[in-house]
Amino acid sequence: MLRFVFFRLLHAIPLLIAVVFVILLMLQLIPGDPVQAMVGDFPVSPDFRAAITKQYHLDDPFLVRVYSYFVNLLHGDFGYSYQFQRPVLDLIVETAPRTIVLTLAGFLVAIPLGVAIGVISGTTRNKRVDRFWTSATLIAYAIPTFWFGQLLVLVLAVHFGWFPTQGMGPLVSRAHGLSWLLERAHYIALPALAFAAYEGPRFARIMRVSVTDTLGQGYIITARAKGLTRWAIIRGHVLRNSSLPLVTVVGYALGSALGGAVLLETVFTWPGLGLLLVQAVRVRDNMTVVGIVIFAALAIIVINLLVDLLYAALDPRIRNS
Amino acid sequence: MNGMATLEPPSADPGLLVRAWRYLRAAIGNLAHTRHGAVGCVILLLLAFVAVFAPSIAPYAPLQQAQASLAPPSLENFFGTDNLGRDIFSLVIYGTRTSLAIGLGAAFGALILGGTVGMLAGYFRGAVESILMRVAELFQTLPVIVVVLLTVALFGSSFWLLLAAVVLAIWPVEARLVYSQYIKLRGMDFVAAAKVADLSTAHIMLREILPSAIPPVIVQVALDASVAILIEAGLGFLGLSDPNMVSWGQILHVAQDYMTVAWWTSLFPGAAICLAVVGLNLFADGLSEIADPRLAGRMGGLQP
Repeated sequence: MLRFVFFRLLHAIPLLIAVVFVILLMLQLIPGDPVQAMVGDFPVSPDFRAAITKQYHLDDPFLVRVYSYFVNLLHGDFGYSYQFQRPVLDLIVETAPRTIVLTLAGFLVAIPLGVAIGVISGTTRNKRVDRFWTSATLIAYAIPTFWFGQLLVLVLAVHFGWFPTQGMGPLVSRAHGLSWLLERAHYIALPALAFAAYEGPRFARIMRVSVTDTLGQGYIITARAKGLTRWAIIRGHVLRNSSLPLVTVVGYALGSALGGAVLLETVFTWPGLGLLLVQAVRVRDNMTVVGIVIFAALAIIVINLLVDLLYAALDPRIRNS
Repeated sequence: MNGMATLEPPSADPGLLVRAWRYLRAAIGNLAHTRHGAVGCVILLLLAFVAVFAPSIAPYAPLQQAQASLAPPSLENFFGTDNLGRDIFSLVIYGTRTSLAIGLGAAFGALILGGTVGMLAGYFRGAVESILMRVAELFQTLPVIVVVLLTVALFGSSFWLLLAAVVLAIWPVEARLVYSQYIKLRGMDFVAAAKVADLSTAHIMLREILPSAIPPVIVQVALDASVAILIEAGLGFLGLSDPNMVSWGQILHVAQDYMTVAWWTSLFPGAAICLAVVGLNLFADGLSEIADPRLAGRMGGLQP
């Protein structure tokens, strides 16, 4: 296991360095003034210009700049947002938890949905049922998340008025305890549903393949021969043994949740990391954009590393290969 | 259909042309016999027709602001009008052009870039392999939409830059596929025979291995096109697509502000995106069924 951890780290660390390197190279390639390239479309005072040139070694060769950028990162400095007049790390710390909450709420809907559809279409003897779900997943793939979100708002929020159209909670709230939680759940319901409509079919597909694989195993035949009921086989043998690939997929989905969050948070004005990134792009606040993207890359690489380690811990075949 | 045509490169030799035509006709016939492929073909042909004849089909010029703003669907404006009084039906018709151009362009770009990288990495192995595949992995670290967003944020979003950004984000999938094909095929007997016959490396890579590697790659090209269309729509929805183009995503960007009063601004352009992407996915599914009937019902790695 230790060997696996070592080799996996040996893989993750250069990747991390390379991502930051490429992003800095892109900043370097922007034509014109390097200070403006970093800061974005904002008037910069001479003091700030001097400070930024010194801090990021803009007068030095590219490799020195990359090195100094890493030193800054290790000190927790992701840059300074001229637009918001705050350090980028502060903005990330403030918004990232909201994105995580939204993602987890989405998983809460998407995982049961995906497992149910995957098991139904994987275990069915009825070709029609399987074919229906295959076509349905194919179509679900084609629906853009943000448009589905708009439709949810149109029907459930605007037409029926069951849910709020946007935001994370009321501007003024006197709710406490359980009613506070319910109030929040009310706001998160539609974004979570839109998230699940996107991730659910992907989980379903993995689950279906995995269930079909499991059904071909010898112990399923043994279980049948023992006279176990269909449901007992599914619950006792199929579900447990085919869930392993889902762990990986869910883990990777957690890492790349920012991608979906960019669009989803814009539809529902959910003030998370995705919405922050879009706002920063719109006002051309480059330092914030780059800070968020580098943070996202770090998060993804670390989460994928943890997922792989977890998978290796769960399945001895992986760590010994 | 267009994809299958590339199986046989057109040539001045009439014999080859006739052969290519027969092959194409057989491919279309096979595709029409798969359930998904037939539906996909019909949808794509319809969209191509709409894109080509947009000026004749659309009742208004796309940016003409002649009507009442935010008018609901009626006989004058089938899909209603937007906040500036533009006819949404005409915008959706013209938007087909943008989406198809981005879809085809990005899929082609990814095929060239990813195909070249995959071919080199798969054939030569060793240092070339590990370096190229690590670069592909590097570009796959971030979600596709974040890569495109970053590129557009730093360099702007004209049509060509947007196209380049999408290619930059989606090429690794193509590279991995071609790579795995070459890994598999390079150990086969016909490649060994070609080496014994002292054929040049370029000849072996392009004339011997490439034709066998093509079928799954064409499936991936169709899937890439659908991903590209979804990304462009997403970027338009964020208001970050080329402002000089009419696109489905941009109408949805406007819709976001007027959703509570004008549902038609959201419903129709979104349905158009779904139609195009479903068409491409069904088409790809039909193609993969022809290429390998065991894989029927498989869906590609769509990750916008």
